[in-house]
Amino acid sequence: MSGFDAIVIGAGNGGLTAAATLAKGGAKTLLLERHNVPGGCATSFCRGRFEFEVALHQLSGMGDASFPGPLRSVLHGLDVLDRVEFVSMKNLYRLTIPGRLDITLPADRNGTVEALTKRFPAEGKRIKEFYDLVYEFFNQLISVIYMRDPEASSEKYPLYFKYAMASSQDLLDEYFNDPLLKASVAAYWGYMGLPPRYLSFSDLAALIFAYIEFKPYHIRNGSQALSNALIEKFTENGGEVRFNCGAQKIELENGAVSAVVTERGERIPTGCVVANISTPVLYNELIGVEESPKEKYEEMSGRTIGPSSFTLYIGMDCTPAELGIEETTNFIGAHDDFNHAFSQLRDIDEPAMILVSCFNVSDPGASPEGTCQIAVVDLQYLEPWLSIPPSRYAEEKYRYAAKVLDLVERVFPGFRSHIEEIEISTPITHVRYLGHPGGAFYGFDQHIKDSRLINPPVQPISGLFHAGAWAAGGGFQPTLASGASTGRAALKHLGMRGR
Amino acid sequence: MSRRNIADQLEGVERIREETRICRKYGIDYTVEKGRTMRLVNLLHPQALRLKVGTVIRETKSAATLRMAPVDGYLPPFQAGQYINLFVEIDGVRTSRPYSISSAPHQTGFYDITVRRVENGFVSDYLLDGVGPGDEFESSGPSGNFHYNPLFHEKHMVCLAGGSGVTPFMSMIREVTDRGLDREITLLYGNRREDDIIFHSEMKDRASRFGNFVYRPVISEPSKTCSELTGFINADLIRSVLNDLGSKTFYICGPSQMYEFCIPELEKLGIPKNKVRREMFGQPQDITAEPGWPREVEASTEFKVSVRGGKTLRARAGESLLAALERAGVVVPSLCRCGECSMCRIKLVSGKVFQPRGVLLRQSDREFGYIHSCAAYPLSDLKIML
Repeated sequence: MSGFDAIVIGAGNGGLTAAATLAKGGAKTLLLERHNVPGGCATSFCRGRFEFEVALHQLSGMGDASFPGPLRSVLHGLDVLDRVEFVSMKNLYRLTIPGRLDITLPADRNGTVEALTKRFPAEGKRIKEFYDLVYEFFNQLISVIYMRDPEASSEKYPLYFKYAMASSQDLLDEYFNDPLLKASVAAYWGYMGLPPRYLSFSDLAALIFAYIEFKPYHIRNGSQALSNALIEKFTENGGEVRFNCGAQKIELENGAVSAVVTERGERIPTGCVVANISTPVLYNELIGVEESPKEKYEEMSGRTIGPSSFTLYIGMDCTPAELGIEETTNFIGAHDDFNHAFSQLRDIDEPAMILVSCFNVSDPGASPEGTCQIAVVDLQYLEPWLSIPPSRYAEEKYRYAAKVLDLVERVFPGFRSHIEEIEISTPITHVRYLGHPGGAFYGFDQHIKDSRLINPPVQPISGLFHAGAWAAGGGFQPTLASGASTGRAALKHLGMRGR
Repeated sequence: MSRRNIADQLEGVERIREETRICRKYGIDYTVEKGRTMRLVNLLHPQALRLKVGTVIRETKSAATLRMAPVDGYLPPFQAGQYINLFVEIDGVRTSRPYSISSAPHQTGFYDITVRRVENGFVSDYLLDGVGPGDEFESSGPSGNFHYNPLFHEKHMVCLAGGSGVTPFMSMIREVTDRGLDREITLLYGNRREDDIIFHSEMKDRASRFGNFVYRPVISEPSKTCSELTGFINADLIRSVLNDLGSKTFYICGPSQMYEFCIPELEKLGIPKNKVRREMFGQPQDITAEPGWPREVEASTEFKVSVRGGKTLRARAGESLLAALERAGVVVPSLCRCGECSMCRIKLVSGKVFQPRGVLLRQSDREFGYIHSCAAYPLSDLKIML
């Protein structure tokens, strides 16, 4: 078997952009994917007359052609922008806490400040100051971290040095009194899988800044369209992809990558591997516990595996308007205490906070005319699901789904009577399809201590690179960007500069 | 300033670094994670099952039930109505067919599959004539979504079955009656002749013993002595059996002609779309009879199929690409074999294929040239990528 310059293991977002970067840079690249479809989470499936988006809710960092965001630049660099259509959303989200709060924030800085001020007039001054802080802080972060200002200092960038290690809760408490206001500002915590008391202020500021400045986006025909486009570009540039062919082993020689053995038993020589799989599987299974560097396990030992989700994919026999759905993104909280809501992710009793995404609001073509497609997401850890005996699993799924639908009904009455198709996925489903411990699509929890600045990842095996949620944090923008930058690092390792 | 220096000057960084030290000190040894989760997940969703035929039960002159026990002692749970894809090797060709499980989910010791002879059925002939106790098979885990769903189905299910399409309903009926579930089932079961009816005596027996199960066979070519309903399962017949059409979910399983016939009949009765569930379209017996088939192409026409980086083979227009690949020994995973599940997805690099109704293709797959090989029939020479 002749070898490859590089082998990418896993065609998730990170694997796809890494492979596309390598092939474009002139490296002879093989992409291995254990499933029959590329994308990992970035995929879709069909039921009846519906095609359901699996994972994408609001694409961040896109921006439009006149004001491109960082993700648009990454995708532009990989020549896929003309093959995929992006649809922008005008609002960030609607947050409802039945009986107590119902607020919609536009994807516009002044508009958001105004909407919050209108609902919480007593705190209007502090609301404006908070968003000023978010912007000023994040601009400083860009200079220090992304632009790498060589003269960065706490005098030059005081806000960054003061708040980089702060939690979101620290700032919410410093600025606001009303818990409903704090909830309104921090509703995006679910996109990171950590509640305000754990979520770093840097991450919350990044979410707010990126979604307001670059607007939230959806992909026409779903995230599978982007996954397919990346594969197309990769193969056009000479890349070879094998579906239904996972990797079984990464072989090392003198501490450097020497070959990949596929699950069909084929040994393929290479000096460079980009792994787009979970960290525990990478070291436990592919490298092997014995061969793996001790410092990697030391690093992992301080980290915890992030949440998965309980998701309902629903095809409705009516339009969003008939259901009273006016926003693509609807958060519904059973209460306003998001820190407690996070604890409830380890329990299958009552859903605490759910996301109801209706893609047809921004993309009427998301399902056949007169219907709509809805995804209801409730973050959940895997553990409680593993405690259910297999014989009771289906029953428990339905029981909990009914509770989630009850919460949806509180905001959108009559919802249940319009269901035409429904598919339930649980954390177990996500383990099954992703192979990740915990079904954790965001990878490890991203606590403040886990910032790459504080704990830069150790990479002691020469020729081994790691892309995706487990290496760089979860979400579409981070994983797509991480693959591209990992691909560039791999090219550099191969002595190729890339085109 | 280096990254390290930046980090050193962040307010509160010492406290955060201390957190890392503490977390690692009392941390998690991830070496024990090895294989753990997948072992648990495999209890629900094993990649493959090994099944051994225990007994063969003759049901009618053209149908038999294979009762299959797990070789390793464990069967994953399923929902009544689900199927397994059974792999067989016949004359050196490895292929597979999906069969609904006809035994009840609470019967955890075995799965029954009930096979009826299909005209020129390569696999059904083999299973009915060539298989006996002790024979072993590989299958997929239970799959499919043709089952009761309490989230939006009515508690009263009206099952419209045709021929071997009764098998998923047998499982549901056994479950509902044996377990005393708070649900009702009305089964309208169409067959050509009385002696084609599978499970007839068991159905009659259960209907006589349980008040929540109504059984009405419908015979289209009745004998002179036939005492059952006769004709087809049309709107009038459905109305005559049901007192009231409201608060019911209708389930249809049978040959594809049955869906074409029954779905408009239900529409005539004003049954809303979300109260009608149908099982997948099976593989058409004669693809050239499908609407949209180009008349100039005959079933026997052969085309050349080149697999990128692999074999080149001959494929007949009248046979699915998946079957042609299997015949040539090319491994393509498959599950539903009805064009819905996408397991056999491949890329059509060049050439033209016919895709019958009922194929569920992702929008972007269609645009980027992917097809489901089980439901794609060659109309020209093809280049494909697996």
